[in-house]
Amino acid sequence: MYVKGVAATTVDDVLAATGSSKSQFYHHFKSREALVRAVVDHVGQTVLARERESLGNVSTLRGLRRWRDALVQSNALRHGAYGCALGALASEVSDHDDLARKALSQLFAEWRGLLADVLRRLQADGVLKSEVSVDQLATGLMGALQGGYMLAQAERDVSPMATSIDMALAHIESLSAT
Amino acid sequence: MTTHFVDVLAIEDAALAQVTNREDMTRWRRRVVRELMRPQSRYATALRRVPDSAAGRDFLVTWQGLLTAAVERVLSSENPPEVRSAAGRRHHDRRAADELAVLILAALHGGGLLSRVADDPAPLEAALDIALAPLTTPSARRGSCPADERPGGNMNR
Repeated sequence: MYVKGVAATTVDDVLAATGSSKSQFYHHFKSREALVRAVVDHVGQTVLARERESLGNVSTLRGLRRWRDALVQSNALRHGAYGCALGALASEVSDHDDLARKALSQLFAEWRGLLADVLRRLQADGVLKSEVSVDQLATGLMGALQGGYMLAQAERDVSPMATSIDMALAHIESLSAT
Repeated sequence: MTTHFVDVLAIEDAALAQVTNREDMTRWRRRVVRELMRPQSRYATALRRVPDSAAGRDFLVTWQGLLTAAVERVLSSENPPEVRSAAGRRHHDRRAADELAVLILAALHGGGLLSRVADDPAPLEAALDIALAPLTTPSARRGSCPADERPGGNMNR
């Protein structure tokens, strides 16, 4: 599903890739939709574990740039071809499956919360102005990140992703207290 | 190019040609947000299908060009003519406009996705707040610096 996309992946594709039988498949998943929701949960937890690890201790603008560098470098290895695993799933399923959409909304909210925590630490240290809404800023940064992934995917080139995050971080930097 | 790509570009070509100052850009923003928040709109459909084809890439390149030209006009409207006439300044404005156009497209794309998932326009609005800040609050733009002057910036160009 990560490589072909959700819509283009049939149950038969899953059986072929896993070497499972149809009865085994339906023993674990009531339907293809149930499998998609399990994939959403699995991908979401994987992405969140990575982001907790990389953002958990960030408390400086330099640290935030290192986080950006790691994401861009990782995506550059594949020329941006597959985008963000979670964003790609969201783009495909959120209009067709309300349960999956709600699960994705919760996962993105957690990711955004990790970014907001970083910005809150910057604010507590006096780096960001006290009147700045960190939740709104984190939401905007998340939008720039997801959009950057999608532009990179479309262009098979990570440059627009780098530019969009750089510009968003420059905006955050412009809100610094000093 | 697919119909929804052609349709959106026709609308954007006409709409962005009218953008020459901050107020115009704000009106453009309000209209695009309305479009993107309708799940079956041409805009939402076009952005969803961008990664699927080469036509999607062409669509983005063309839209980015229209945005760059509009951003450049807005930036020029904020600068006095004697400053605009300097070649170095024009180059800087062109580059700033190019980068801003990328961020605006990313905000529409990523903010639009997050808004559809959350069924709430707030993420799209927040993403556009960041992307359009240099046009609506000139002091913020002056507070930032070009990508190649930022630590860790522009690593893939």
